[in-house]
Amino acid sequence: MFTDKVDLKDFEKQDPEYQDLLRRVLAIQADCEIGGPNLYVKHILPSAPTKLDQLIVARTAAEEMDHFRKMARLAGDIGVDVSYTLSRPNQERYVEAFRGEIKTWEDYAVFGFLVDRVGRFQLEEFLDCTYLPLAKVVEDPDIIREEEGHVDFGTNASAEFAAKGGESKERIQKAVDYWYVKGLDMFGNSKSYRSERYMFWGLKRRPNAVARQQYKDEIDALILKMGLTIPDPNKGRLYT
Amino acid sequence: MEPAPNTEALDQQFKEFIQAVKKAVGTGIPHLKDDPKIVDQSIADCKEILDVVMEGNVKEWLS
Repeated sequence: MFTDKVDLKDFEKQDPEYQDLLRRVLAIQADCEIGGPNLYVKHILPSAPTKLDQLIVARTAAEEMDHFRKMARLAGDIGVDVSYTLSRPNQERYVEAFRGEIKTWEDYAVFGFLVDRVGRFQLEEFLDCTYLPLAKVVEDPDIIREEEGHVDFGTNASAEFAAKGGESKERIQKAVDYWYVKGLDMFGNSKSYRSERYMFWGLKRRPNAVARQQYKDEIDALILKMGLTIPDPNKGRLYT
Repeated sequence: MEPAPNTEALDQQFKEFIQAVKKAVGTGIPHLKDDPKIVDQSIADCKEILDVVMEGNVKEWLS
């Protein structure tokens, strides 16, 4: 198990596997950060239910852009240009959850509730990691606090829809059904060799399966509390 | 370690985009109850900036 702390100046001295894994995870993280706004800005910014909601959507997009900026900077400093993630079609995103478009307020709410929550889990993976510049970014309280703000907004909005009952509840259940499996899949394959190597090099803290189960426990409790039904966790899954 | 081309320029450009959106949001929110014109202008400003970012024409931004 690798426990050294690596600064930028020592990056090139590291094992090639360490360098490759760090390059890869930063590119994926940057792609996910900008992938969110690319899903919802086009349709949701103009159509959000109130003007306050429109401004919240804009602020959320700005915060995700700032997370992208921080990851792009880390990647750029080790020679990885991630600017291609700014212009690629959504269908080419690394993570399947970011490959469509969000067109309804219910989907926007559940995206915050379930997918931004995965984002929080992923950022937590880097806390105290062996690459100091990355650990420093995620240990700055802004990035996780902002992500938690997006999660809370989505969770509260989803709960409000569910509490209304009737058609509102049916629509939010439909959105939960859609995003639930995508959220579970975002943790990757439970038997991933690469996941083990990330842990070996101290770049991640938990195996995929453990993080996924912790996430599932958290969201299942919230879904039940909202009076909604927990979707089948195996239906339509890409990774188990 | 040689950074990737445009790392600093892209970082600076994004800081400007982010600051501009946050400024527009900050201008609109206090007037939600008393001045719809200011709020509408704030939303329009946010949309204009975010549309540019979502277009992702990096070469144009950095030229």
